[in-house]
Amino acid sequence: MVSFINIMYLCFANESKTFSKRTFLLANKISKRKNLNKNLIMTLNNKHNIKESYDVIIIGGGITGAGTARDCAMRGLSVLVVEKYDLANGATGRNHGLLHSGARYAVTDHESAAECITENMILRKIAAHCVEETDGLFITLPEDDLSFQSTFVEACGKAGIRADIISPEEARHIEPSVNPTLIGAVRVPDASVDPFHLTTSNILDACRHGADVLTYNEVVGMIIVNGMVEGVQLCDNHTGEVYEVRSRVVINAAGIWGMPILQMADIKLNMFPAKGTLLIMGHRINNMVINRCRKPANADILVPDDAVCVIGTTSDRVPIETVDDLKITPEEVDILIKEGEKLAPALATTRILRAYAGVRPLVAADNDPSGRSISRGIICIDHEKRDGLGGLITITGGKMMTYRLMAEEATNLACKKLGIDKPCETAVKPLPGSEGLDKNAKEWHLPKAYNAAKGRQGMRVNEIKNETLTDRALVCECEEVSVGEVKYAYENLNIHNLIDLRRRTRVGMGTCQSELCACRAAGVMCSMNKDPKKTLHDLGNFVNERWKGMRAVGWGSTLDEAHLAATVYQGLCGINQIMNKKESK
Amino acid sequence: MKEQGIQLKNISGNNLEQCLKCSICTVYCPVSAVSPEYPGPKHSGPDQERYRLKDTKFFDETLKMCLNCKRCEVACPSGVRIADIIQSARIEHSKKRPALRDVMLANTDFVGTMANIVAPVVNVTLGLKPVKAVLHGVMGVDKHRTFPAYSSQKFETWYKKFAAAKQDSFKHHVSYFHGCYVNYNYPQLGKDLVKVMNAIGYGVHLLEKEQCCGVALIANGLSKQATRQGNNNMRAIRKSYKEQNRMVLTTSSTCTFTMRDEYKHVLKIENEDVREGISLATRYLYRLVESGKVKLAFRKDFKIRTAYHSACHMEKMGWVVYSTELMKMIPGLELIMLDSQCCGIAGTYGFKKENYERSQKIGAGLFDQIKSLNPDCVSTDCETCKWQIEMSTGYDVINPISILADAIDVEETMRLNNV
Amino acid sequence: MKYDVVIIGGGLSALTAGITLASNGKRVCMVAAGQNSLHFSSGSFDFLGYDADGNAVTNPIEAIKTLPTIHPYRIIGEENIGSLVTSAQALLSDAGVETKGEIAQNHYRITPIGTIKPTWLTIEGYATAASLTETRWKKADLINIQGFLDFPIEFLVDNLRDTGTTCTIRNINTEALTQARKSPTEMRATNVAKYLDSKTDLMDFANAINAIDSDAEVVLVPAVLGLNNSAQAEELKALVKKPIEFIATMPPSVSGMRTSTLLKRKFMALGGTILVSDTAVSGVFENNRLVSIATSQLPDEVLRADQFILASGSFLSHGLKSDYEKVYEPVLGVDVEAVANRVEWTKENVYDAQPYMEFGVKTDAQFHALKEGVAIENLYAAGSILCGNNDIKLASKEGVAMLTALQVANIIKEK
Repeated sequence: MVSFINIMYLCFANESKTFSKRTFLLANKISKRKNLNKNLIMTLNNKHNIKESYDVIIIGGGITGAGTARDCAMRGLSVLVVEKYDLANGATGRNHGLLHSGARYAVTDHESAAECITENMILRKIAAHCVEETDGLFITLPEDDLSFQSTFVEACGKAGIRADIISPEEARHIEPSVNPTLIGAVRVPDASVDPFHLTTSNILDACRHGADVLTYNEVVGMIIVNGMVEGVQLCDNHTGEVYEVRSRVVINAAGIWGMPILQMADIKLNMFPAKGTLLIMGHRINNMVINRCRKPANADILVPDDAVCVIGTTSDRVPIETVDDLKITPEEVDILIKEGEKLAPALATTRILRAYAGVRPLVAADNDPSGRSISRGIICIDHEKRDGLGGLITITGGKMMTYRLMAEEATNLACKKLGIDKPCETAVKPLPGSEGLDKNAKEWHLPKAYNAAKGRQGMRVNEIKNETLTDRALVCECEEVSVGEVKYAYENLNIHNLIDLRRRTRVGMGTCQSELCACRAAGVMCSMNKDPKKTLHDLGNFVNERWKGMRAVGWGSTLDEAHLAATVYQGLCGINQIMNKKESK
Repeated sequence: MKEQGIQLKNISGNNLEQCLKCSICTVYCPVSAVSPEYPGPKHSGPDQERYRLKDTKFFDETLKMCLNCKRCEVACPSGVRIADIIQSARIEHSKKRPALRDVMLANTDFVGTMANIVAPVVNVTLGLKPVKAVLHGVMGVDKHRTFPAYSSQKFETWYKKFAAAKQDSFKHHVSYFHGCYVNYNYPQLGKDLVKVMNAIGYGVHLLEKEQCCGVALIANGLSKQATRQGNNNMRAIRKSYKEQNRMVLTTSSTCTFTMRDEYKHVLKIENEDVREGISLATRYLYRLVESGKVKLAFRKDFKIRTAYHSACHMEKMGWVVYSTELMKMIPGLELIMLDSQCCGIAGTYGFKKENYERSQKIGAGLFDQIKSLNPDCVSTDCETCKWQIEMSTGYDVINPISILADAIDVEETMRLNNV
Repeated sequence: MKYDVVIIGGGLSALTAGITLASNGKRVCMVAAGQNSLHFSSGSFDFLGYDADGNAVTNPIEAIKTLPTIHPYRIIGEENIGSLVTSAQALLSDAGVETKGEIAQNHYRITPIGTIKPTWLTIEGYATAASLTETRWKKADLINIQGFLDFPIEFLVDNLRDTGTTCTIRNINTEALTQARKSPTEMRATNVAKYLDSKTDLMDFANAINAIDSDAEVVLVPAVLGLNNSAQAEELKALVKKPIEFIATMPPSVSGMRTSTLLKRKFMALGGTILVSDTAVSGVFENNRLVSIATSQLPDEVLRADQFILASGSFLSHGLKSDYEKVYEPVLGVDVEAVANRVEWTKENVYDAQPYMEFGVKTDAQFHALKEGVAIENLYAAGSILCGNNDIKLASKEGVAMLTALQVANIIKEK
C-alpha cells in the first residue's frame, strides 16, 4: 500500500516552528484526542491495493452508499465502495443541504414525515459537526390560504414534529430577512446539514472499520453465475483498465445511475430522473430555514448553508441520458428568483454566485409502467425475490437526510443474506468529527481558519497542522481554508484532483469561485503529488467547472467576477493554451 | 416605487456583494504593510463579514488595528465600503471595553476644555519628561509624541469677544463648525477663516451648540457616546441649514467626513437632509469663485512653494481637488502634489504607544518625499496629519485656508465684492 | 468645474490620453473610480499575441489585417499604427517605465505558471523566452520565497523544463520575509514588496541569493520588488553576483502597481487632476454634445469640458455593466454592441472565445461614442470599453488601451 503521509514537501521544508504557549496547549490537546482519530484515513485505492473479494460491494459513493458502507463495515462485513466519479458527486452534493424536520411532507406523506423527524434527531447527535441547528419557519403569505396552517400543524403533530404557531411579528423578529408581508408562521425543527462532510464522515468511519473505497472506478458489468450476482466488472476511469472484483452481495446504491446498473443484470426498474435546480446566494440572507406553508411547490425553501444560502428547487423530469450533464435553463433561474423573493425579499437584490442542479431518483411502482404513481419513500429491493437474481440489492428513493435509515434497511437485508445477526449501531454511535464534539466550545482564540475548519471537519480539525506560519496561511480567503487543511484533506480524504478537494474542504466555493485560491491550492497539491502536468490540468478543469455554475447566472457582479478570473488565468497565465492543447490531442 | 424586472440591483450592506476579491485594496492598506498581525482590509472586511453573518464569534479583535483611513475604499474599483464594513463590525461585535487612555484620547473636547483652563501648565506639563513617562507607562500614550499645544484662549472665547458682534452686518451668512482642534489647539485657523469670509462679504456664525464630531469616539469603540453627540450636532446643523439657510463650513476634513458619511454608514444617524449643508470651507470658496459670485484678490508680494498632502479622508470624499484648485488660484503659489498616502497618525491611533512605531513606519515614505522636495511648507486639510508631519519632518504644515488668508489682499477683495 | 478635457476612467488608457493631452497644455481632469486593472498586469504590454483563429502572431502589424473591421486596430487604420506605437513606448519611458521590445516582431513573455505568450513590450528586468517553445537558459535557479503562495513554482519548473531550462528551486527566507509570513492572508506580491522595501532587507535578500552554491547561469526571481519605481530591482541586480531576471507573480502585480504609480505621477506633474475616489454617474447632452458629467462624490457639482474621453474599461472595471436583461454602459448610456439574448453572452467551455468579451461601446471611425446611433461630437471612447476586441483571446489589452487613447488624444489635440 502506498503511503502518502511521509512525503517531504520541498517548498515548505525548513519551516521554523513558532513555539507559543497556545501552540503547546494545542499540541497537548491533539495528543489526547489522537486515539479518537486513529485510522481515520481514506486510502487512495486502485485495483492493485484492494482485495480480490469482499462480502459486500456497494455501488455508489453518494450519501446512501457511504452510509451503507459504514453500517455494513460496523457489522463486521468486508466492504468495497465503488464510485465512478468522486464521493458526493451526484445528487448528494446537489441539493439544499436541508435537514428536514419532516414538516414539508407532513400533510402529503405521513410516513416520510415521520421518518424525517426521527432521522433529524439522530443526525443532530451522530453528525453534530455537519448540522447547524437553525430551526425553520413555514410562512403563510397573503396569496396563500391561511387555513392550510391548521391542517399543517395538525399533520406535524401526528408525525411527531414539533410545530409552534408564532405571530408574524415574532417571525420578523427572529428572522429579519423574512417577507414582512407574511400573515402566519410556524416554527419547526428544520436545520441545515453539510452533505459533503456527512458523506466524508460516513466513508471515514467505514474505512476505520476496514472498508475499502475506490473512486473514479466505474461498474461496467455484473458477474452473474447461475442466477447469482458474484461481483462486478470495473473500469478504472483514469487508466481505462477493466478488471473484476468478487463479492457475495452487491448493493446498488447509485441513485438514478442505479437504473443503467440494473440493466447490466437485465433487470428493469422504472426510474425517472427529476431535475432540481438551485441557486447559491453570495452570503447568508437568512439564519433560519424559510419554507412556504402550503403544498410543496417550486422554489419554496431557502436554506442557510455555511457562509451562503441556497434557494430551490425546481422539479422537471429529464431524460436519463442527460443526468451526467445537466443544463440549467434561464426559465428555471427565473422561477427561483421570482419565487425565492417571496420568501425573503433581499434575494432579489443579492448576488447569485452560481446555479447547480441535481437529480432525484424517482421510482415508479412495479405495476405502473407509466410512472404516474411515484413513490418518494425508501425503496429497498431484494432482487432475488423480485427478479430471481440472487446476491443483488437495490436501495433507492428516499432523501439525503434519510440515508441512514436506507442504509440500515439495505444492510439488514444484506446481513440476512449473509447469515449475520448483528444489530445496527449507526443511530447511536457518533460519526468521526462528532466524537467528543462540544459545539459550543469553539476555540475562538485560535485563528479563524481553525474554527471555520472545525465547522467542516468537526473534531478532526485537530489533525490539521497549524503550528507553522506556512500551514496557517490561507489558500482560500473567502472560505478560510488553510494550507494545513488542504494538506490534511490530501493526505487523509481520498483526493484525486482539485474538485475533490473542494468537496472535502470548501476551496473555491466562496465569492470569487476560484480566482486566486485555485492556483494556490493547486500549488500546495503539486508540492505533495509531484505531478505538475496533471495538477495544472486539474486547475484548468477546476476553473472550467466553477465557470459552468457561474455561467447560468452570468450577469452583474458574477459576470464581472468571471471576467476577472479569465483575465488572471487566461490573460495573465495562459492556462487556456494548456487546456486547448490537451483537447486537440 | 418598485422597479420592474429581476435582479436589477445588487444591494448589500456596505456593498459587501460587489467585492470581486481582486485584492487591490490590500495594496493600499497602510497597516498591513507594517503589521503582519492585521488580516488586511479585504479579509477583515468583506471576506470575514460573510462568516460573521453566520456566527458573530467570527469577529476578530485584530480589526481594531484598522486606522479607518479609507484608503481601501478609495482604491476599490467596485465601490465596496470596506472600512465601513470593518468599523460596523467593531461597533456591533467588539466586547472589549475601551481603556481609560482611549476614553481620554477620544474625548477631545472634554480634555480640551480642561486643558484650556490651565493651558500654560498643561503645555509645560505635557512636555515634561516625567509626565511623558507617566503618560507612556501608565496611560499608554507614546513618549515620543509631542502633544499639540493647547491654546490659552479658546476659539469660541475669541469669537465672542472680538468677532461675533459685526457678523450680522454682512450680506451673506454661513455657520462654522470649528471642531475641537480649532477651538482648543489652533484658534488661528478659525480666525483665518473669519478673515477670508468677511473679506468676501460673508458673516461667520457659530452653531447654536457644537459638540465634538465624534471621530475619535468611533475609532476608540465609544459608539454610543458618538451617536449621542452626532445627534446633537445634526440638530444644530439642521437648524442652521434648514431654518436659517446658512451653510455649515468646516476647516477640518475629518470632521466633515465624519458628519457627512460616517454618521450614516457607521452610526446609522439619518443625515441625508443636511448632508449637502456641510461643506469644507475650501470647497465652498472654490465654488463661489468658480461660479463668479465672488472674486479674490491676492497680495502681489506673496510667494510660497508648498507640497500638498492629500489627507485620507479628503481623498475619500474626493475633495482634494477643491483645496488644490483653490490654491492654484494664488499667483505666487507653487503647488507640488505629494504621492497620496497615509501619514500614519490616523487621529488618535498614532498617539497610542503600541502604535507609535507602526505609525511612523506608515508615514516614512511620505516624510522622505517631503524632505527631498524641501518645500517652504506642507499644506493639508487635516489637523492630525499636521501634527504627524510637523513632528516627523520639522516642516510647517498649514491649512489651505490659512495660506489663503495670508495670500489674500483683504481691501482689494472687499472692494471687488462690494463689501 | 471646467476643464479642457475630462476623462472617465483611471487605467492605462485614461492615463495615456491624459499624459498626452496634459503635455500638450490641456487642462485635464480624470475621474478614476478606484484603482485600475494594471494591478493584474504581467509585466508586459501585449499588442496582438494571437490572431482571430488563435494562432500565435509573429508580426503584429501584418496580423492586424486578419482582424475583423470592427476591431479598434482596424479603426485606427494601419497607416497610423506605426507612429502611435512609437509614441506609446516613448510615453512609458518618459514616465519612468523602461521597456524592451519592438512592434516589428513579437517577443515572448513567461507567465507565472511558466507558459510562454507572444507580447509587444516587456518591462526591463523581466524574463523573456527566445521563442514559443524555447527559453534562453540551460540551467536556472528559481527563487522560492517560503510560504508565498502566489508564485506557483512547481508549474513553472515543469513548463520551463519543457522549454529547455532545468530549474532548481531555491528556498529563500529572510527576517523581513518571516515577518511578512506572519499574516495568514497578506503574503501577497505587493506586500512582500513592502517588506523588502528597506536597504537592509534588500541586502538580506540579496545575500540569501548569493549564498546559493550552484552552476546555474541565471537566477529567476518572483517579481516582488519595487512598488514605486524600478530602483530596487536595479539595486538587487547590482547586489546579486549572477544575472537575475524577474518572473511575474499572481496578482496583485508589483510591476502593474509601479506602472500605474509612475504614470499617475507623470500626469500630475504635468498639472493633471485625478479624482481618485470618485465615480462618474451621469452626463448632460445637448445637440449631440456632452456638456457635463456628474460624479457620485460631488453630487451638486458638474464637471464641464470641451472634450470628454470614456475610458472606463470593461466588465471587470465596471466600465461595462450587465444585469439580468442587458449589457449597458452605466455612466452615459451610450450605445453598446452586445447580443440581446443572455444565453448567448457566454459559451459553456470557459476556454472558448466568450462572446461577452467582445461587447463594448460602439464608435465611429474617429472613436466618437454613439448614442442612439448618433456620434457625439466631443465624446470619445478608448481602451477596453471598445467593442470588437476580445483582449484575452487576442492578447491585445495594453496595445488597444494605449493606441486608441493616443489616437483619441491626437484627434483632440488638433482641436
